Amino acid sequence: MSAPEPARQSPTAAVPKQAAPRLDVYPLTGRNGFRAVGEVILPTRDIWERALQGVVREAEDVGGEDVYYLELSAVTFVDVAGAGALADTAKSLDGRRRLVLDRPPDALPRILTLLWPGLPGIEVSAS
Amino acid sequence: MTTATHPVEPFVHPALFYTDTHEYLAGTVPFIREGLAAGEPVAVAVPKENLALIQDALGADGAAVRFLDMREAGRNPGRIIPGVLRAFADQQPPGRRIRIIGEPIWAGRSQTEYPACAQHEALINAAFQGREVTILCPYDSSRLDERVLADAHATHPVVIPAGSAAELASTAYDPDDVVARYNLPLPPAPGAGPDVLGIVFAEDSLSAVRHLATGHGARLGLTGTALENLALITAELTTNSVVHGGGTGTLTVWPDNGYVVCEVRDKGRLADPLAGRRPPARDQRGGRGLLLVNLLSDLVRIHTGPEGTTIRSYLGR
Repeated sequence: MSAPEPARQSPTAAVPKQAAPRLDVYPLTGRNGFRAVGEVILPTRDIWERALQGVVREAEDVGGEDVYYLELSAVTFVDVAGAGALADTAKSLDGRRRLVLDRPPDALPRILTLLWPGLPGIEVSAS
Repeated sequence: MTTATHPVEPFVHPALFYTDTHEYLAGTVPFIREGLAAGEPVAVAVPKENLALIQDALGADGAAVRFLDMREAGRNPGRIIPGVLRAFADQQPPGRRIRIIGEPIWAGRSQTEYPACAQHEALINAAFQGREVTILCPYDSSRLDERVLADAHATHPVVIPAGSAAELASTAYDPDDVVARYNLPLPPAPGAGPDVLGIVFAEDSLSAVRHLATGHGARLGLTGTALENLALITAELTTNSVVHGGGTGTLTVWPDNGYVVCEVRDKGRLADPLAGRRPPARDQRGGRGLLLVNLLSDLVRIHTGPEGTTIRSYLGR
């Protein structure tokens, strides 16, 4: 990736090199769900959305109500579109499967409450 | 006010001018009581000293009214439509008129805040068009300056002169002109300096600019939720530039008195003046980034035109 360059009108300190944003998704062992590592922003949005599409697809295969864990303790940031994909997933599941956000970044439950008030089907677990 | 050739607009938006407490209560309390008597939902969002006056006058009847301190809930004028007015109106069962008293402009509003206040008052008309809602907006004509009072005649189709109960059609009503008139170029961001962060970004640097912005925000004194808000605001504004604003933009972060200002400038044009002020429809995908910026900021100023768009978010530190 190219590091951001200083703006012309206000050149500031050197911009540190940084690795390209990543999002990695691994299935959980011992319980239904996935663990995500990285950040959910525009460059990683497709990866996040594909993982969430899998949650809906599998729910259709299994049938019946169950719980799906999203272990997010190593997710450093989720933008509004990423939160929206989560909200859409909860709506698509329509009660067939409950989503539990396990240790999400603090801002994520706040964004969901602010922008999707009263959204059913998503719980937050801090443990 | 209406003629046979125009259907009656169900949204009612009068400006109530007052010069003292007596006129304030005479203009607001009967409006509330009428609503309560008709079984209508009523909310009052005014500065807290005026809230106390109304609450005292209503006594026990106030139990059925939703009260909000506008200095808090409406500190950012861009937050008032989605976070206060629609937030209340959209919760009410259909079939009854909704009454709201909203006082977004008080004597302490700064010159930086005022253009956003005037645009907010103008945009209420479009945001509530066609709805069975009345929003009464008190204006303190003894303390607000002439320009503010003149603008109130342009942003409200109906005016109630001080000391009167008469509802008059405003001959100066022209909300689109107010939106355009206060779409003002913002004073330039400060140039280079130890307190100023300025960066050009594109899609591959979205993550890096967010980290730089929050690092700088922390150095300028933001902590906790405010710092988290700066990260969210930076992410939404820079992502908007990448997706809608020509793929690239400039982020500048600097201190301004008690605030940290986060500005994003790009080549895009914001065509919809209600962008970020409308709660999205339940099933609508996208379109919530600017809404979040409005909900989290202490002030948002926007200038948009053929040369591009500048959005400035102020966060208290």
